[in-house]
Order: sequence, then C-alpha cells, then structure tokens
Amino acid sequence: MMAKKREKLLEVKGLKTYFFTENGVVKAVDGVDFDVYKGETLGLVGESGCGKSVTAFSIMRLLDYPGKTVGGRVVFEGENLLEKSEDGMRKIRGKDIAMIFQEPMTSLNPVFTIGYQISEALKIHLHMNDREAMAKSVELLKKVGIPIPEQRVHEYPHQLSGGMRQRAMIAMAMSCDPTLLIADEPTTALDVTIQAQILELMKALLQEFNASLIMITHDLGVIAEIANRVAVMYAGKIVEYSDINTIFHFPLHPYTFGLLTSIPRLDVELKRLDAIPGFVPDPLHFPKGCKFNPRCRFATDKCREEEPPLVKVEEGHLVRCWHVDRVKEEVKNGLLVGV
Amino acid sequence: MAKPILQVRHLVKYFPIKKGVFRKTVGWVRAVDDVSFDVYEGETLGLVGESGCGKTTTALTILRLEEPTRGQVIFDGKDITKLKRRDMRKMRKGMQIIFQDPYSSLDPRMKVKDIIAEGMLTHNMLNGRNVYKRVGELLERVGIPADYMNRFPHEFSGGQRQRVGIARALALEPKIIMCDEAVSALDVSIRSQIINLLKDLQNEFKFTYLFIAHDLSVIKYISDRVAVMYVGKIVELADKKVFFDDPLHPYTQALISAVPVPNPDYKKKRIVLQGDVPSPANPPKGCRFHPRCFMAMDICSKVEPELVEVKPGHFVACHFYDKKGGNS
Amino acid sequence: MKRTLRKLFSNVTSLIGILLLLFFVVIAIFAPVIAPPLSDDPYNTPRMSWDINPQPPGFPMSDNIRFIYDTMGKKVKWNKAIFGTEGGGYDIFYALVWGTRTAFKIGIITVASSMLIGLFIGSISAYFGGWVDEVLMRITDIFLSFPFLVAAMVLTTILGKGLDKVMIALITFGWMGYARVIRGSILSAKEETYVMAAKALGIKDGRIIWRHLLPNTIFPVLVQGSMNIGSMVITAAALSFLGVGAPMGYADWGQMVSFARNWIIGAPGHAGQYWYTVFYPGIFIVLFVLAWNLIGDTLRDILDPRLRGEL
Repeated sequence: MMAKKREKLLEVKGLKTYFFTENGVVKAVDGVDFDVYKGETLGLVGESGCGKSVTAFSIMRLLDYPGKTVGGRVVFEGENLLEKSEDGMRKIRGKDIAMIFQEPMTSLNPVFTIGYQISEALKIHLHMNDREAMAKSVELLKKVGIPIPEQRVHEYPHQLSGGMRQRAMIAMAMSCDPTLLIADEPTTALDVTIQAQILELMKALLQEFNASLIMITHDLGVIAEIANRVAVMYAGKIVEYSDINTIFHFPLHPYTFGLLTSIPRLDVELKRLDAIPGFVPDPLHFPKGCKFNPRCRFATDKCREEEPPLVKVEEGHLVRCWHVDRVKEEVKNGLLVGV
Repeated sequence: MAKPILQVRHLVKYFPIKKGVFRKTVGWVRAVDDVSFDVYEGETLGLVGESGCGKTTTALTILRLEEPTRGQVIFDGKDITKLKRRDMRKMRKGMQIIFQDPYSSLDPRMKVKDIIAEGMLTHNMLNGRNVYKRVGELLERVGIPADYMNRFPHEFSGGQRQRVGIARALALEPKIIMCDEAVSALDVSIRSQIINLLKDLQNEFKFTYLFIAHDLSVIKYISDRVAVMYVGKIVELADKKVFFDDPLHPYTQALISAVPVPNPDYKKKRIVLQGDVPSPANPPKGCRFHPRCFMAMDICSKVEPELVEVKPGHFVACHFYDKKGGNS
Repeated sequence: MKRTLRKLFSNVTSLIGILLLLFFVVIAIFAPVIAPPLSDDPYNTPRMSWDINPQPPGFPMSDNIRFIYDTMGKKVKWNKAIFGTEGGGYDIFYALVWGTRTAFKIGIITVASSMLIGLFIGSISAYFGGWVDEVLMRITDIFLSFPFLVAAMVLTTILGKGLDKVMIALITFGWMGYARVIRGSILSAKEETYVMAAKALGIKDGRIIWRHLLPNTIFPVLVQGSMNIGSMVITAAALSFLGVGAPMGYADWGQMVSFARNWIIGAPGHAGQYWYTVFYPGIFIVLFVLAWNLIGDTLRDILDPRLRGEL
C-alpha cells in the first residue's frame, strides 16, 4: 500500500510505564513497541484501562506521580525523548509534538480567551510578538473552519459549542506546525454529525501539514476511517499490529477477531452479536500467561501458563498469540461478519 | 397487527430558564416539543438523536419522572398523565427504566440484594423470606452468581453493575422497559454482552423496549422501528429496514452517513452537515433543521413541517415530502 | 512518606481524642462511686464549710456540717475537699465529677435534638424543592439572623433559669447549621440516578429520603455534630457564666466557672490565690471540647471521600 521508502518519525521500543500505588504496581504499559512513519496515521485501539492513553502521556512525558516510565525508548527524529532534560522536552511539546484531548472543555483554560491560548504557544516556540501571534491565531481558526474567527479569538472557551472548542483545540495543536500529532479520543465526547466534521477536518489538515498522527480511540469505526496502520492494545500490551486492511479483513489475534465480530455495525445485518465473554481484567490482577486467555475461545493450557511474544506473521503484521494458525483457519477467506 | 401498549400524544416538556433576584422565568428550554408516537406490544422502538435533542427527557416524561408540560401518555389504555401520585406509584410497576450510568444508578450504600428487592417489596409482590430467593434467581438470569447478592455496588465492574440495573427493572415484571443509553457507557466488548442479554430477555419475557441511544449501529441492531429526534421533535419514524435503506429526512440521511463504519472498504457518500445543533432554548423558526439542511427551501424557514405519514408506517416531518405527499 | 506520616499523626490525635473521651465516660458512669452523693439530688454539690471564701485543696469538712449530715443519717465517706472548695464551701471535686454527667447531657441532648430538627427540615426542603424549600429556608434564615449567644440568652431569660431551659434555647437556635448542610448534600445527591431509579420503582418519597438520601448524605452532619457537642457545652457554660444557666450549687462546670468569677484575680496582694476555683473546671471544659473536636476530625478523615480516595 505504501511501497515507497518510508521515513521513520517516531520509534517506541519496549516502553514500560508503571503506576506505583498503595495497592501494588499497576503495569499500565508493559513493553510496547511501535513506529510512526512520516505522514501516516497510526491507530491505537483498545478498551478502557488497556494503556493506550498512558502510552501517549509517556511519549509526551506528561505523567505525574504515581506513574513513572521505567523502561524503553521513545526515539523521535533521532533523539530519545526519555533521556531529554525537562527543558529540552518543553521545547518539543507543543512545537514538534502536539496533543489533542478528549474533553476540550477541561483542556482549554476557562479564564483565557481562545486567541490568547493559541498565541501563547506561538510566542514561546516561534518567538512571535503579540500582534503577529494574534493574526496567526485568526488565520488558524479560519483554517479549522471556525466562522467569524476575528470575533472568536476574543471569546472564552465556554462561549463556544463542543464542536467549536474541539476545532479551537486542533488549531492550537496545529499552531506551531508539528510533525507529530497525538489525539486522545478526540471525537468521543462529540455528537455523530460533529464527529464527522472533526474527522474530515483532521484528515484535511494532516494532508496539508504533512503531519503524522497517533489516533487513540476505542471506536473501530473511527480507526477504519482515518488510520493507515493499527496497533490493538489489551492489558498494557500490543496484541496485534498491522496495516488497516489486514486488521479489518484478516485479523489473527482472537481479541481483534472477537471485537470485530461482536460490535453492532451499519454495513451488515447481524442476527446475533458474537460477544466476547468475561470482563476487562483489573490491572492489579492480570491473569497469568496470555492476558486474554480467560476470555479466549482458542485458549489452551499453554496460554494459561506462558505469555506469547509479539511475532511477525508476515511482513508488517505482528500478532501476540500462540494459536495464530487456528485463528488463520477461521479467517482464511477474510473476515465475514454477519454471514 | 400488534396493539400499541404505549401511545404518546403531543407530549411537551418545557423547562423554565430563570434569571435574576426574583427568579423570574425569562424563557423556556423546549426539551420535548409536541412529540407523538406509538409503541407496539413486544417491539423495540429505537429513539435516536444527538445530545440535547430531548430523547432522554422524552423517556423521563413518559414515566412522569419529569412532569409533562402538556400532552398525554396512554399506557395500557390509561392516560397516566392524569393519575394521582399514589396511583402513579402503582403504575410504575408496569414501566421500568434502565439508566446510562452504571455507577450513579445504584445506591452505593445499599447491598445489591436490597437494591433489587426494594421494588418487589414496595409493590408487595413477595414477602420478606421469598424475596431474596427471587433476587438470586434474577441475578443468575442476568449473568451474575446468586451469592454475589450480599456485595455492594462498588465491588462490581461497570458491566456487572449494568446487569444489576437490568435485574432491578426485571424484578417488577414490567411490560415496557425504557433503555436510556443503557449500553453507551460500557466498553466495546462488554457492550455486546449487554445488548445480547437485553435481546434474550425480550425473547423470554416478551418485553417492549423503548431503546434510546445516540449510536446508530446499536439502534440498527436492536430495533424493529426507529424514530429520530432533532431539537425536541421527531423528524422521521419508520421500520428499521426502510429507515436505514431509504431514509427520507435530510437529517436522517446525514446522520446515517456520518456514522463511522469499522470497514475500511465501506464506501459511502458522506453528507457533512455544517454548523452545530441549535439550542432547544432558542430553536430556529420554521423547520428546526433548516439552517443546516442541504435541501432547504424558502418555506422551510417560515413554516414548521408536520410529521406526516408519507408511506404506510413511514412518518417524516419535512416540507419536501409534505408537498409530494399532497400531490400524489 | 509525607502522606504516611500525616496519616500516622492523625491516628495519634484520634487516639488522644478517644482516650480523653473514654476518661470522661468512665467518670460519668462511675460518678456515684467516685463521689457518692450526700443529698437526694446528686447534682446538688455538697458544701464543706459555710465560709464565703474559697478554701484551698485539702480543706477538711467543717465539724458543724458533718454533724448535720450525721443527724440526717448520711454516711460521709470523705472528709476533705481534695481540689479545694469554691466560695460558699462547695466541693470542687464533687462538682467536677457530677458535672461530667451534666456536660454529656447538655452536649448529646442538644446536638441530637437540633440535628434531628435540622435533618428533618433540611431534607424535606431539599427533596421537595419549590415553595416548600423557599418557606423552610427563609425560616432558617430568620433563625440564623439572630446572634446565637444573645438569642439563646434572651430565650433562657424568658423561659426561666435552669439547665433544661438552657438546652431548649440551645436547640431552638442550634439546628440551622445542620439543616443547611444536609440540604446542600441532598440537593446534590438527589441528582444521582439512583434516586431517579428509586422513583421509577414507585418507592414512596419518605422512604427515598430515609433509605437512599440520608445514608448517602448524613456523614458530614455527623461530623459537624460531634464537633458541636464540645461547643454546645461551652455555650451552656457561657450562659451559666452570664448568669442565666444552672443555679448556684448545681454540678455544672459552667456554673462553677461562673461562680468563680469573683475569685479569679485573687485577694489583694495574693494574685491567683484562688486559682483552683477556675483551673479545675476550666481544664475539664477544655479537655472535653478537645476530645470531641479530635473525634470529629477523625470522623471527617475517615468519611471524607476525597481523603479516602487518596493513597
């Protein structure tokens, strides 16, 4: 699909972030590897507590006590971010790597105007003066489709609707022309029609700025729409990692497979949802062996004893499962949902 | 044809906006504005719409958890809007609700067995000794081991709490259950379990559901008929198949086209609507959708369209079809 | 580390509070053993002499008083005022011991009664809202607009002297705080979906308040109440001090301090000569109030969900 030589922008290797709580160590992210190439969108999918957001915060080094990144490397444009000084990190945050959050109401400061908040980054990173920064803010707001931007720059976050706030948030993220954008559930809090607007906007902006995106979401529909490659996370680990077509048509991890056959969807008529049994494991008491084994219909004694490694099944397709062959047998003609 | 178990007629719910020292009413939030529909026995009517469209208020007003401003709700042949408090309490046995948030919908200081037993005891369905036996059966039915009944809600996961909420509604053996975003707060893999459970229970007990959700995929899976609300009004109501294959209202069309589908090859023409959902405190004149509508005509900004039956069982509130319907 | 220390410290303070309270409880329970009463009403403090001036610790009971008790057929089991006497010969030790019972009585009865009134008014007001809320809260405001001590004093004066009148006054002007706290908590708790769920089940309003709302909101009120037990005793003491409380000779710490008013400075040239008349009842009041405050603090730490949620 992307045959030409791709340039690696971000390389995450063996990332481990633990939370040291009174009740024990929570291994929120436990050895995560992935790459992000220039101009592509990587989807990070998983359910609540799987570690997808913590991964993002670890890359940005935005974790507070009791969370701590205890191992691994985050190489961004040749530099390991985990070894950078706090000062050096501050120069990268907001400039080279920008972040978009789920709830724009809480991630924008309610006591400053939209314009002030956008120009702040411009003044710090691009050393603009007040007037330049304000002019640029208006331009950015226009670019993200906010009507009458000259007026909106002087308004406060609470005066904007949810969709408009998310647009302002995106304008802020794009202000310093970042090469990598990390979006943590950017459309989850929004209505369907607004979500569609934001997704279209993000696609257009990524192309215009030639930026890469890490899209964190639980919504497989959003992933199918925007991502080039996908990493599926479960219980702090990546369980499947591949390009978008393979994930949706030939998934080889039972969890991915289960998710795709269990969700209600618009494109096909379903008789019954093939629900994954059991519940999302508590991060303090992960099961032994493969963390998915108590919910997995392929599980054997081996799965209960030994955790499988993430192995390459074919070029660009990695799966963490002992029974890839058996899953493959079921999906050999492609995943047929609802038939 | 099945008979309607619930008939909603011109239901209106306005909330006053109060301002100033004397709490003077300066305006009204028209949360539900003249909504009429029927729910037939044994069916699932999906009620879909974006946040603030009034779908939850509709359910609460039907149950009189919010007092309706105007209109009638006829349940089982009786107009319940006229009932006294006392008679209404008795009536509640027949209509139950499952809430969205599995965390705040269970009293944190009550044991699960008491949460489930409370309704049965209030309606004198069982006496003290037998009631906990029944609680055990109900828990088993919704997929929770009966011996968990002595636990408190915080000892359960979100999915399990939602099962407890379902058991609580089930306990009263109601005829109709309103599911108010009952699966929206749950994780993807848990959501399917609960949807399956709700469907199984319907098959077993012949419940009628009014299923409220913002997620069209879920609505499509669970409903027999679907109604869409926009800013306090129903704009389209049809059988599920017709609704998804041949939607008539431009808002419905845009809504369906906006849903992300977990299939990278699924190609569709997406209608991206401009602008935001208007506030129900200040809805646009004429058709409430006209400022965002890609088919808007002159009349749309002046006259509010009625919900009319354009084909048998297919209701639309849009001038575009109004005229056509009138011509043919 | 800092957190653990703080936690430990709060445990030490709570331990002190519990020990102090235990000390007072033991005194109150065993009062008849520690200081056997000499008259039919045990709250009447026996006199050790007829002398107008206070007598120092260790002062022996005067012979003519002993003679009176003997002819009355009372057995006098002790013959020394080990903490001294107040003016008029009232035994300080005896009054302290029986005053503990008075303190508990005042504290618990006034706080419990005003809490009940407050809970009732506050919960009804919050649950039903609308004009019910308006009316009840305006009444509360009216009561709040009186300065507490003055209002209590005036009411006690109208009702007449005596401890029961003091308590009625304290209850009359002491329930508003509870009403406000419980109203606030219920206003936020009634927005929780489980209240809606209970209504949907057809449960009666009274039961919703009693079984669902109060259990979820009562703890801040209990904390406030336990802290107020101390301050109620102080206020009662203040009223006594101002002369509208317990009558002379009644075993009540406040009355003792009030009675010692004339002796605080001491005799000319002997400053602090009569220190014991103020010191003993004073220290008892302070420790009693401290005990309840420490316990209130501990209760709050235990029940405050924000502190509980912390690691």
